[in-house]
Amino acid sequence: METIPKTSTALSSLLRADLVTQWRNRRSFILLLLVPIIILISWKGIIEKFGGPFALSTCITIGLVAIGLMGYSNTVARDREKGIFQRLRVAPMPAWCIMASRLLIQLMMIVLLTTTIFIAGNNIDHIKLSPSGYIISFLTAVVGGAVYLGLGQLIVGLIQNPETVNSTSRLTYFLFIMIGMFGELGVLGDQIKEIVLWSPYGTVKRIIAAGMQPGTWNQETTTALLLTIAYAAVFSFIGIKKFKWNNK
Amino acid sequence: MNTHNYILQVHGLNIYYGSFHAVRDVSFDVLPGEIFGLLGPNGAGKTSTLSAVEGLLKPQSGSIVVAGNDINKKPLHAKAAIGVQLQATSFQSELTVSEILQLYAGIYGMSMSREKIFSILKNIKLEESSGRKFGQLSGGQQQRLSLAIAVLHEPRLVLLDEPTSGLDPQSRRQLWERMESMREKGHSVLLTTHSMEEAEAVCDRIAIIDHGRVIATDTPQSLMDSNKTNPEVIAASRRGKITLEDVFIGLTGKAIRS
Repeated sequence: METIPKTSTALSSLLRADLVTQWRNRRSFILLLLVPIIILISWKGIIEKFGGPFALSTCITIGLVAIGLMGYSNTVARDREKGIFQRLRVAPMPAWCIMASRLLIQLMMIVLLTTTIFIAGNNIDHIKLSPSGYIISFLTAVVGGAVYLGLGQLIVGLIQNPETVNSTSRLTYFLFIMIGMFGELGVLGDQIKEIVLWSPYGTVKRIIAAGMQPGTWNQETTTALLLTIAYAAVFSFIGIKKFKWNNK
Repeated sequence: MNTHNYILQVHGLNIYYGSFHAVRDVSFDVLPGEIFGLLGPNGAGKTSTLSAVEGLLKPQSGSIVVAGNDINKKPLHAKAAIGVQLQATSFQSELTVSEILQLYAGIYGMSMSREKIFSILKNIKLEESSGRKFGQLSGGQQQRLSLAIAVLHEPRLVLLDEPTSGLDPQSRRQLWERMESMREKGHSVLLTTHSMEEAEAVCDRIAIIDHGRVIATDTPQSLMDSNKTNPEVIAASRRGKITLEDVFIGLTGKAIRS
Protein backbone atom coordinates (compact mmCIF):
# COMPACT_ATOMS: atom_id res chain seq x y z
CA MET A 1 0.00 0.00 0.00
CA GLU A 2 1.36 3.39 -1.04
CA THR A 3 1.75 6.06 1.65
CA ILE A 4 0.19 9.40 0.85
CA PRO A 5 2.30 12.42 1.78
CA LYS A 6 0.80 14.82 4.33
CA THR A 7 -1.31 17.56 2.75
CA SER A 8 0.37 20.14 4.99
CA THR A 9 3.82 19.11 3.68
CA ALA A 10 2.67 19.34 0.07
CA LEU A 11 0.99 22.70 0.70
CA SER A 12 4.06 24.18 2.38
CA SER A 13 6.27 23.03 -0.53
CA LEU A 14 3.87 24.61 -3.00
CA LEU A 15 3.71 27.78 -0.95
CA ARG A 16 7.49 28.05 -0.87
CA ALA A 17 7.71 27.58 -4.65
CA ASP A 18 4.91 30.10 -5.31
CA LEU A 19 6.57 32.59 -3.00
CA VAL A 20 9.89 32.23 -4.84
CA THR A 21 8.06 32.65 -8.17
CA GLN A 22 6.30 35.76 -6.86
CA TRP A 23 9.59 37.17 -5.57
CA ARG A 24 11.29 36.61 -8.94
CA ASN A 25 8.36 38.44 -10.56
CA ARG A 26 8.55 41.29 -8.07
CA ARG A 27 8.99 43.90 -10.79
CA SER A 28 5.47 43.31 -12.03
CA PHE A 29 4.11 43.65 -8.48
CA ILE A 30 6.02 46.91 -8.03
CA LEU A 31 4.44 48.17 -11.25
CA LEU A 32 0.99 47.23 -9.89
CA LEU A 33 1.77 49.32 -6.81
CA LEU A 34 2.91 52.33 -8.84
CA VAL A 35 -0.56 53.49 -9.99
CA PRO A 36 -2.08 53.80 -6.50
CA ILE A 37 1.10 55.42 -5.13
CA ILE A 38 1.15 57.96 -7.97
CA ILE A 39 -2.52 58.75 -7.35
CA LEU A 40 -1.80 59.19 -3.65
CA ILE A 41 1.09 61.56 -4.34
CA SER A 42 -0.79 63.60 -6.94
CA TRP A 43 -4.07 63.92 -5.01
CA LYS A 44 -3.15 66.59 -2.47
CA GLY A 45 -6.19 68.69 -3.34
CA ILE A 46 -8.58 65.75 -3.12
CA ILE A 47 -7.22 64.81 0.30
CA GLU A 48 -7.87 68.34 1.57
CA LYS A 49 -11.39 68.30 0.09
CA PHE A 50 -12.58 64.72 0.81
CA GLY A 51 -10.24 63.62 3.60
CA GLY A 52 -7.43 61.09 4.02
CA PRO A 53 -9.61 57.92 4.23
CA PHE A 54 -11.20 58.80 0.86
CA ALA A 55 -7.78 58.95 -0.83
CA LEU A 56 -6.36 55.91 0.96
CA SER A 57 -9.44 53.76 0.27
CA THR A 58 -9.37 54.77 -3.41
CA CYS A 59 -5.70 53.83 -3.70
CA ILE A 60 -6.16 50.51 -1.89
CA THR A 61 -9.19 49.66 -4.07
CA ILE A 62 -7.22 50.42 -7.24
CA GLY A 63 -4.37 48.22 -5.96
CA LEU A 64 -6.80 45.40 -5.17
CA VAL A 65 -8.28 45.60 -8.67
CA ALA A 66 -4.75 45.35 -10.07
CA ILE A 67 -3.82 42.34 -7.89
CA GLY A 68 -6.96 40.40 -8.80
CA LEU A 69 -7.18 41.28 -12.46
CA MET A 70 -3.64 41.95 -13.65
CA GLY A 71 -1.74 39.71 -11.22
CA TYR A 72 -3.80 36.66 -10.28
CA SER A 73 -5.74 36.05 -13.49
CA ASN A 74 -2.73 36.46 -15.77
CA THR A 75 -0.51 34.18 -13.69
CA VAL A 76 -3.18 31.47 -13.58
CA ALA A 77 -3.83 31.77 -17.33
CA ARG A 78 -0.10 31.58 -18.11
CA ASP A 79 0.55 28.58 -15.85
CA ARG A 80 -2.49 26.77 -17.21
CA GLU A 81 -1.24 27.32 -20.76
CA LYS A 82 2.19 25.94 -19.84
CA GLY A 83 0.68 22.80 -18.29
CA ILE A 84 2.04 23.54 -14.82
CA PHE A 85 -1.30 22.77 -13.16
CA GLN A 86 -1.61 19.44 -14.96
CA ARG A 87 1.84 18.43 -13.76
CA LEU A 88 0.88 19.28 -10.19
CA ARG A 89 -2.50 17.54 -10.46
CA VAL A 90 -0.92 14.15 -11.14
CA ALA A 91 0.79 14.32 -7.75
CA PRO A 92 -0.83 12.65 -4.72
CA MET A 93 -2.30 15.78 -3.14
CA PRO A 94 -5.79 17.30 -3.21
CA ALA A 95 -6.23 19.70 -6.15
CA TRP A 96 -7.44 22.47 -3.82
CA CYS A 97 -3.87 22.75 -2.47
CA ILE A 98 -2.73 24.19 -5.81
CA MET A 99 -5.20 27.08 -5.67
CA ALA A 100 -4.98 27.50 -1.88
CA SER A 101 -1.26 28.18 -2.22
CA ARG A 102 -1.90 30.74 -4.98
CA LEU A 103 -4.58 32.48 -2.92
CA LEU A 104 -2.39 32.63 0.18
CA ILE A 105 0.27 34.39 -1.88
CA GLN A 106 -2.37 36.87 -3.13
CA LEU A 107 -3.46 37.42 0.46
CA MET A 108 0.11 38.35 1.33
CA MET A 109 0.16 40.72 -1.63
CA ILE A 110 -3.04 42.39 -0.37
CA VAL A 111 -1.51 42.89 3.09
CA LEU A 112 1.69 44.22 1.51
CA LEU A 113 -0.26 46.61 -0.73
CA THR A 114 -2.36 47.93 2.16
CA THR A 115 0.71 48.38 4.35
CA THR A 116 2.57 50.21 1.57
CA ILE A 117 -0.37 52.57 0.99
CA PHE A 118 -0.64 53.26 4.73
CA ILE A 119 3.10 53.98 4.98
CA ALA A 120 3.00 56.21 1.87
CA GLY A 121 -0.12 57.99 3.19
CA ASN A 122 1.54 58.60 6.51
CA ASN A 123 4.89 59.75 5.14
CA ILE A 124 3.72 61.76 2.14
CA ASP A 125 0.32 63.12 3.18
CA HIS A 126 0.53 62.69 6.97
CA ILE A 127 -2.67 60.62 7.05
CA LYS A 128 -2.92 58.87 10.39
CA LEU A 129 -5.58 56.41 11.52
CA SER A 130 -6.49 55.00 14.92
CA PRO A 131 -5.15 51.51 15.76
CA SER A 132 -8.67 50.05 15.32
CA GLY A 133 -8.90 51.92 12.00
CA TYR A 134 -5.75 50.19 10.76
CA ILE A 135 -6.90 46.75 11.93
CA ILE A 136 -10.40 47.02 10.43
CA SER A 137 -8.96 48.44 7.19
CA PHE A 138 -6.73 45.39 6.81
CA LEU A 139 -9.75 43.13 7.28
CA THR A 140 -11.94 45.06 4.85
CA ALA A 141 -9.06 45.13 2.33
CA VAL A 142 -8.91 41.33 2.50
CA VAL A 143 -12.71 41.09 2.00
CA GLY A 144 -12.49 43.60 -0.87
CA GLY A 145 -9.53 41.72 -2.36
CA ALA A 146 -11.70 38.59 -2.47
CA VAL A 147 -14.07 40.39 -4.89
CA TYR A 148 -11.29 41.08 -7.40
CA LEU A 149 -9.66 37.68 -6.96
CA GLY A 150 -13.13 36.26 -7.64
CA LEU A 151 -13.41 38.49 -10.70
CA GLY A 152 -9.96 37.30 -11.84
CA GLN A 153 -11.11 33.71 -11.33
CA LEU A 154 -14.25 34.48 -13.33
CA ILE A 155 -12.12 35.76 -16.23
CA VAL A 156 -9.85 32.67 -16.28
CA GLY A 157 -12.92 30.50 -15.83
CA LEU A 158 -14.69 31.93 -18.85
CA ILE A 159 -11.67 32.56 -21.09
CA GLN A 160 -9.05 29.93 -21.96
CA ASN A 161 -6.55 31.81 -24.13
CA PRO A 162 -3.93 33.56 -21.96
CA GLU A 163 -3.59 36.48 -24.39
CA THR A 164 -7.35 37.05 -24.35
CA VAL A 165 -7.27 36.80 -20.55
CA ASN A 166 -4.52 39.42 -20.53
CA SER A 167 -6.35 41.87 -22.76
CA THR A 168 -9.71 41.29 -21.02
CA SER A 169 -8.24 41.82 -17.57
CA ARG A 170 -6.46 45.00 -18.71
CA LEU A 171 -9.64 46.35 -20.25
CA THR A 172 -11.67 45.48 -17.13
CA TYR A 173 -9.00 47.10 -14.93
CA PHE A 174 -9.07 50.27 -17.03
CA LEU A 175 -12.89 50.40 -16.98
CA PHE A 176 -13.05 49.85 -13.23
CA ILE A 177 -10.49 52.56 -12.52
CA MET A 178 -11.80 55.18 -14.92
CA ILE A 179 -15.52 54.67 -14.35
CA GLY A 180 -15.00 54.02 -10.65
CA MET A 181 -12.86 57.07 -9.91
CA PHE A 182 -14.58 59.59 -12.15
CA GLY A 183 -18.04 58.14 -11.64
CA GLU A 184 -17.69 58.36 -7.88
CA LEU A 185 -16.73 62.03 -8.11
CA GLY A 186 -19.89 62.69 -10.16
CA VAL A 187 -17.99 63.65 -13.32
CA LEU A 188 -19.99 61.10 -15.39
CA GLY A 189 -23.41 62.16 -14.08
CA ASP A 190 -25.62 61.29 -11.12
CA GLN A 191 -26.92 58.02 -12.53
CA ILE A 192 -23.41 56.66 -13.09
CA LYS A 193 -22.43 57.91 -9.64
CA GLU A 194 -25.26 55.88 -8.07
CA ILE A 195 -24.34 52.76 -10.10
CA VAL A 196 -20.66 53.10 -9.15
CA LEU A 197 -21.55 53.40 -5.46
CA TRP A 198 -23.16 49.94 -5.50
CA SER A 199 -20.77 48.38 -8.02
CA PRO A 200 -17.90 46.09 -6.87
CA TYR A 201 -15.67 49.18 -7.04
CA GLY A 202 -17.95 51.34 -4.92
CA THR A 203 -18.85 48.78 -2.24
CA VAL A 204 -15.22 47.75 -1.73
CA LYS A 205 -14.07 51.34 -1.53
CA ARG A 206 -16.88 52.19 0.87
CA ILE A 207 -16.14 49.39 3.35
CA ILE A 208 -12.41 50.16 3.29
CA ALA A 209 -13.05 53.89 3.88
CA ALA A 210 -15.50 53.14 6.71
CA GLY A 211 -13.05 50.64 8.19
CA MET A 212 -10.49 53.46 8.49
CA GLN A 213 -12.94 55.46 10.61
CA PRO A 214 -14.92 52.81 12.50
CA GLY A 215 -17.13 55.53 14.00
CA THR A 216 -18.59 56.32 10.58
CA TRP A 217 -19.71 52.70 9.93
CA ASN A 218 -23.49 52.79 9.38
CA GLN A 219 -26.34 50.75 7.89
CA GLU A 220 -25.29 51.63 4.32
CA THR A 221 -21.77 50.38 5.02
CA THR A 222 -23.15 47.09 6.33
CA THR A 223 -25.24 46.77 3.15
CA ALA A 224 -22.08 47.50 1.13
CA LEU A 225 -20.21 44.81 3.09
CA LEU A 226 -22.94 42.24 2.44
CA LEU A 227 -23.00 43.20 -1.22
CA THR A 228 -19.19 42.89 -1.36
CA ILE A 229 -19.38 39.38 0.08
CA ALA A 230 -22.14 38.53 -2.40
CA TYR A 231 -20.04 39.82 -5.34
CA ALA A 232 -17.06 37.75 -4.16
CA ALA A 233 -19.23 34.64 -3.75
CA VAL A 234 -20.94 34.96 -7.15
CA PHE A 235 -17.73 35.71 -9.08
CA SER A 236 -15.83 32.91 -7.34
CA PHE A 237 -18.66 30.39 -7.75
CA ILE A 238 -18.97 30.95 -11.50
CA GLY A 239 -15.19 31.24 -11.91
CA ILE A 240 -14.52 27.96 -10.11
CA LYS A 241 -17.41 26.14 -11.80
CA LYS A 242 -16.30 27.16 -15.28
CA PHE A 243 -12.57 26.77 -14.61
CA LYS A 244 -10.66 24.18 -16.62
CA TRP A 245 -7.22 23.04 -15.48
CA ASN A 246 -5.91 22.78 -19.02
CA ASN A 247 -6.46 24.57 -22.31
CA LYS A 248 -7.12 21.51 -24.43
CA MET B 1 -7.75 -13.24 -11.32
CA ASN B 2 -5.42 -11.83 -8.65
CA THR B 3 -5.48 -8.05 -9.10
CA HIS B 4 -2.12 -7.67 -7.38
CA ASN B 5 -0.34 -9.56 -10.16
CA TYR B 6 -0.76 -6.51 -12.33
CA ILE B 7 0.59 -3.07 -11.62
CA LEU B 8 -2.08 -1.52 -13.83
CA GLN B 9 -5.45 -2.85 -14.90
CA VAL B 10 -7.62 -0.88 -17.30
CA HIS B 11 -10.97 -2.43 -17.97
CA GLY B 12 -13.86 -1.34 -20.20
CA LEU B 13 -12.72 2.30 -20.36
CA ASN B 14 -15.04 4.73 -22.16
CA ILE B 15 -14.34 8.43 -22.57
CA TYR B 16 -16.58 10.93 -24.31
CA TYR B 17 -15.92 14.57 -25.24
CA GLY B 18 -19.47 15.81 -25.62
CA SER B 19 -20.99 13.45 -28.17
CA PHE B 20 -17.58 12.30 -29.47
CA HIS B 21 -16.71 8.80 -28.24
CA ALA B 22 -12.93 9.13 -27.91
CA VAL B 23 -12.10 5.91 -26.03
CA ARG B 24 -14.25 2.84 -26.63
CA ASP B 25 -14.23 -0.04 -24.20
CA VAL B 26 -10.44 -0.06 -23.84
CA SER B 27 -8.93 -2.81 -21.67
CA PHE B 28 -5.31 -3.77 -21.04
CA ASP B 29 -3.02 -4.74 -18.16
CA VAL B 30 0.57 -3.92 -17.33
CA LEU B 31 2.76 -6.38 -15.44
CA PRO B 32 5.40 -5.47 -12.88
CA GLY B 33 8.72 -4.68 -14.59
CA GLU B 34 7.11 -4.44 -18.01
CA ILE B 35 7.42 -1.68 -20.60
CA PHE B 36 4.03 -1.42 -22.26
CA GLY B 37 3.50 0.80 -25.28
CA LEU B 38 0.29 2.40 -26.49
CA LEU B 39 0.53 3.01 -30.22
CA GLY B 40 -1.96 4.75 -32.40
CA PRO B 41 -2.41 7.46 -35.03
CA ASN B 42 -3.15 11.06 -33.99
CA GLY B 43 -6.48 11.32 -32.21
CA ALA B 44 -6.71 7.54 -31.66
CA GLY B 45 -7.30 7.94 -27.91
CA LYS B 46 -3.80 7.26 -26.50
CA THR B 47 -3.44 10.47 -24.53
CA SER B 48 -7.05 10.33 -23.33
CA THR B 49 -6.44 6.81 -22.00
CA LEU B 50 -3.23 7.91 -20.33
CA SER B 51 -4.93 11.01 -18.86
CA ALA B 52 -7.56 8.77 -17.29
CA VAL B 53 -4.84 6.58 -15.75
CA GLU B 54 -3.11 9.73 -14.45
CA GLY B 55 -6.38 10.82 -12.84
CA LEU B 56 -6.57 13.99 -14.96
CA LEU B 57 -9.69 12.88 -16.75
CA LYS B 58 -12.75 11.10 -15.36
CA PRO B 59 -13.94 8.36 -17.69
CA GLN B 60 -17.68 7.90 -18.22
CA SER B 61 -17.34 4.19 -17.52
CA GLY B 62 -14.75 1.51 -16.88
CA SER B 63 -12.26 0.89 -14.12
CA ILE B 64 -8.60 1.72 -13.60
CA VAL B 65 -6.68 0.01 -10.84
CA VAL B 66 -3.10 1.11 -10.09
CA ALA B 67 -1.12 -1.12 -7.72
CA GLY B 68 -4.37 -2.41 -6.25
CA ASN B 69 -5.90 1.08 -5.85
CA ASP B 70 -8.97 2.07 -7.85
CA ILE B 71 -8.24 5.54 -9.29
CA ASN B 72 -11.81 6.68 -8.53
CA LYS B 73 -12.07 5.27 -5.03
CA LYS B 74 -8.52 5.89 -3.81
CA PRO B 75 -7.14 8.54 -6.16
CA LEU B 76 -4.33 9.72 -3.90
CA HIS B 77 -3.10 6.17 -3.19
CA ALA B 78 -3.16 5.42 -6.92
CA LYS B 79 -1.34 8.68 -7.72
CA ALA B 80 1.29 7.92 -5.09
CA ALA B 81 2.10 4.72 -7.01
CA ILE B 82 2.65 6.47 -10.33
CA GLY B 83 5.28 8.81 -11.73
CA VAL B 84 4.29 10.91 -14.70
CA GLN B 85 6.01 12.64 -17.56
CA LEU B 86 3.42 14.63 -19.47
CA GLN B 87 3.57 15.36 -23.19
CA ALA B 88 4.15 19.07 -22.59
CA THR B 89 6.92 19.15 -20.02
CA SER B 90 6.43 22.20 -17.88
CA PHE B 91 7.48 23.48 -14.55
CA GLN B 92 7.55 27.03 -13.28
CA SER B 93 10.10 28.74 -15.52
CA GLU B 94 11.16 31.10 -12.69
CA LEU B 95 12.29 28.21 -10.47
CA THR B 96 15.77 26.74 -10.65
CA VAL B 97 16.42 23.07 -11.31
CA SER B 98 17.17 22.33 -7.65
CA GLU B 99 14.12 24.31 -6.48
CA ILE B 100 11.90 22.23 -8.77
CA LEU B 101 13.40 19.04 -7.35
CA GLN B 102 12.78 20.32 -3.81
CA LEU B 103 9.20 21.28 -4.69
CA TYR B 104 8.32 17.83 -6.00
CA ALA B 105 10.23 16.07 -3.22
CA GLY B 106 8.08 18.03 -0.76
CA ILE B 107 4.89 17.21 -2.64
CA TYR B 108 5.79 13.51 -2.45
CA GLY B 109 6.66 13.86 1.24
CA MET B 110 10.38 13.28 0.80
CA SER B 111 13.25 15.19 2.35
CA MET B 112 15.90 16.24 -0.11
CA SER B 113 19.43 17.05 1.05
CA ARG B 114 21.91 18.96 -1.10
CA GLU B 115 23.89 15.76 -1.57
CA LYS B 116 20.79 13.91 -2.77
CA ILE B 117 19.93 16.72 -5.21
CA PHE B 118 23.50 16.69 -6.52
CA SER B 119 23.41 12.92 -6.96
CA ILE B 120 20.12 13.06 -8.91
CA LEU B 121 21.40 15.88 -11.10
CA LYS B 122 24.70 14.09 -11.68
CA ASN B 123 22.78 11.03 -12.77
CA ILE B 124 20.98 13.05 -15.45
CA LYS B 125 24.08 15.10 -16.30
CA LEU B 126 22.62 18.34 -15.03
CA GLU B 127 24.88 18.80 -11.99
CA GLU B 128 26.21 22.08 -13.36
CA SER B 129 22.71 23.39 -14.02
CA SER B 130 21.29 23.15 -10.51
CA GLY B 131 21.12 26.95 -10.22
CA ARG B 132 19.74 27.49 -13.72
CA LYS B 133 16.11 28.32 -14.19
CA PHE B 134 13.93 25.72 -15.89
CA GLY B 135 13.16 28.13 -18.74
CA GLN B 136 16.88 28.37 -19.55
CA LEU B 137 17.34 24.61 -20.11
CA SER B 138 17.39 23.02 -23.57
CA GLY B 139 14.56 20.70 -24.64
CA GLY B 140 16.64 17.59 -23.93
CA GLN B 141 17.68 18.88 -20.51
CA GLN B 142 14.07 19.70 -19.63
CA GLN B 143 13.05 16.20 -20.69
CA ARG B 144 15.76 14.60 -18.52
CA LEU B 145 14.74 16.67 -15.51
CA SER B 146 11.10 15.82 -16.10
CA LEU B 147 11.88 12.12 -16.16
CA ALA B 148 14.03 12.40 -13.02
CA ILE B 149 11.09 14.03 -11.25
CA ALA B 150 8.71 11.37 -12.53
CA VAL B 151 10.79 8.67 -10.81
CA LEU B 152 11.83 10.77 -7.78
CA HIS B 153 9.57 8.84 -5.37
CA GLU B 154 10.44 5.42 -6.84
CA PRO B 155 6.96 4.83 -8.27
CA ARG B 156 5.86 1.35 -9.22
CA LEU B 157 4.40 2.60 -12.51
CA VAL B 158 5.90 5.31 -14.71
CA LEU B 159 3.66 6.94 -17.33
CA LEU B 160 5.40 8.57 -20.28
CA ASP B 161 3.41 10.46 -22.88
CA GLU B 162 5.39 10.59 -26.14
CA PRO B 163 8.63 11.03 -24.20
CA THR B 164 10.99 11.13 -27.17
CA SER B 165 9.08 13.45 -29.47
CA GLY B 166 11.31 16.36 -30.47
CA LEU B 167 14.48 14.77 -29.09
CA ASP B 168 17.67 14.27 -31.08
CA PRO B 169 18.85 10.66 -31.67
CA GLN B 170 21.40 10.83 -28.83
CA SER B 171 18.85 12.03 -26.29
CA ARG B 172 16.35 9.46 -27.56
CA ARG B 173 18.83 6.59 -27.13
CA GLN B 174 19.68 7.87 -23.66
CA LEU B 175 16.00 7.92 -22.73
CA TRP B 176 15.54 4.36 -23.95
CA GLU B 177 18.45 3.30 -21.75
CA ARG B 178 16.80 5.03 -18.80
CA MET B 179 13.55 3.20 -19.48
CA GLU B 180 15.39 -0.10 -19.61
CA SER B 181 17.17 0.72 -16.38
CA MET B 182 13.76 1.48 -14.80
CA ARG B 183 12.56 -1.93 -15.93
CA GLU B 184 15.64 -3.56 -14.41
CA LYS B 185 14.81 -1.87 -11.11
CA GLY B 186 11.33 -3.36 -11.25
CA HIS B 187 9.39 -0.27 -12.31
CA SER B 188 6.69 -0.75 -14.91
CA VAL B 189 6.46 1.75 -17.74
CA LEU B 190 3.39 2.68 -19.77
CA LEU B 191 4.30 4.89 -22.69
CA THR B 192 2.52 6.34 -25.66
CA THR B 193 4.50 6.77 -28.82
CA HIS B 194 4.26 7.37 -32.54
CA SER B 195 7.65 5.82 -33.11
CA MET B 196 7.58 2.20 -34.27
CA GLU B 197 11.36 2.11 -33.83
CA GLU B 198 10.90 3.03 -30.18
CA ALA B 199 8.14 0.51 -29.66
CA GLU B 200 10.28 -2.24 -31.16
CA ALA B 201 13.38 -1.17 -29.28
CA VAL B 202 12.03 -0.89 -25.74
CA CYS B 203 8.48 -2.22 -25.38
CA ASP B 204 7.85 -5.72 -24.04
CA ARG B 205 4.24 -5.54 -25.21
CA ILE B 206 2.24 -3.04 -27.17
CA ALA B 207 -1.41 -2.22 -27.72
CA ILE B 208 -2.43 -0.60 -31.00
CA ILE B 209 -5.33 1.81 -30.58
CA ASP B 210 -7.38 3.15 -33.45
CA HIS B 211 -10.58 5.17 -33.37
CA GLY B 212 -10.62 4.74 -29.59
CA ARG B 213 -10.48 0.92 -29.67
CA VAL B 214 -7.64 -1.47 -28.89
CA ILE B 215 -7.28 -3.42 -32.12
CA ALA B 216 -4.26 -5.55 -31.20
CA THR B 217 -2.22 -6.35 -28.09
CA ASP B 218 0.94 -8.46 -28.07
CA THR B 219 4.72 -8.37 -28.14
CA PRO B 220 6.14 -6.48 -31.13
CA GLN B 221 7.60 -9.71 -32.56
CA SER B 222 4.34 -11.67 -32.14
CA LEU B 223 2.40 -8.87 -33.82
CA MET B 224 4.75 -9.02 -36.80
CA ASP B 225 4.63 -12.82 -36.93
CA SER B 226 0.86 -13.08 -36.64
CA ASN B 227 0.25 -10.43 -39.32
CA LYS B 228 2.80 -11.51 -41.92
CA THR B 229 0.10 -13.08 -44.09
CA ASN B 230 -2.42 -10.25 -43.59
CA PRO B 231 -2.95 -8.81 -47.13
CA GLU B 232 -3.26 -5.24 -45.82
CA VAL B 233 0.00 -5.57 -43.93
CA ILE B 234 1.71 -7.05 -47.00
CA ALA B 235 0.35 -4.19 -49.10
CA ALA B 236 1.78 -1.71 -46.59
CA SER B 237 5.20 -3.38 -46.65
CA ARG B 238 7.85 -1.34 -48.47
CA ARG B 239 10.95 -3.49 -48.12
CA GLY B 240 9.70 -7.03 -48.51
CA LYS B 241 10.30 -7.80 -44.84
CA ILE B 242 7.34 -7.11 -42.52
CA THR B 243 8.13 -4.45 -39.93
CA LEU B 244 6.10 -3.20 -36.98
CA GLU B 245 5.34 -0.08 -38.98
CA ASP B 246 3.88 -2.23 -41.76
CA VAL B 247 1.67 -3.99 -39.21
CA PHE B 248 0.62 -0.62 -37.80
CA ILE B 249 -0.20 0.85 -41.23
CA GLY B 250 -1.88 -2.39 -42.28
CA LEU B 251 -4.12 -2.40 -39.21
CA THR B 252 -4.87 1.33 -38.94
CA GLY B 253 -4.89 2.31 -42.62
CA LYS B 254 -2.91 4.75 -44.74
CA ALA B 255 -5.22 7.73 -44.34
CA ILE B 256 -3.62 10.71 -42.56
CA ARG B 257 -5.35 11.59 -39.28
CA SER B 258 -5.86 15.06 -37.91
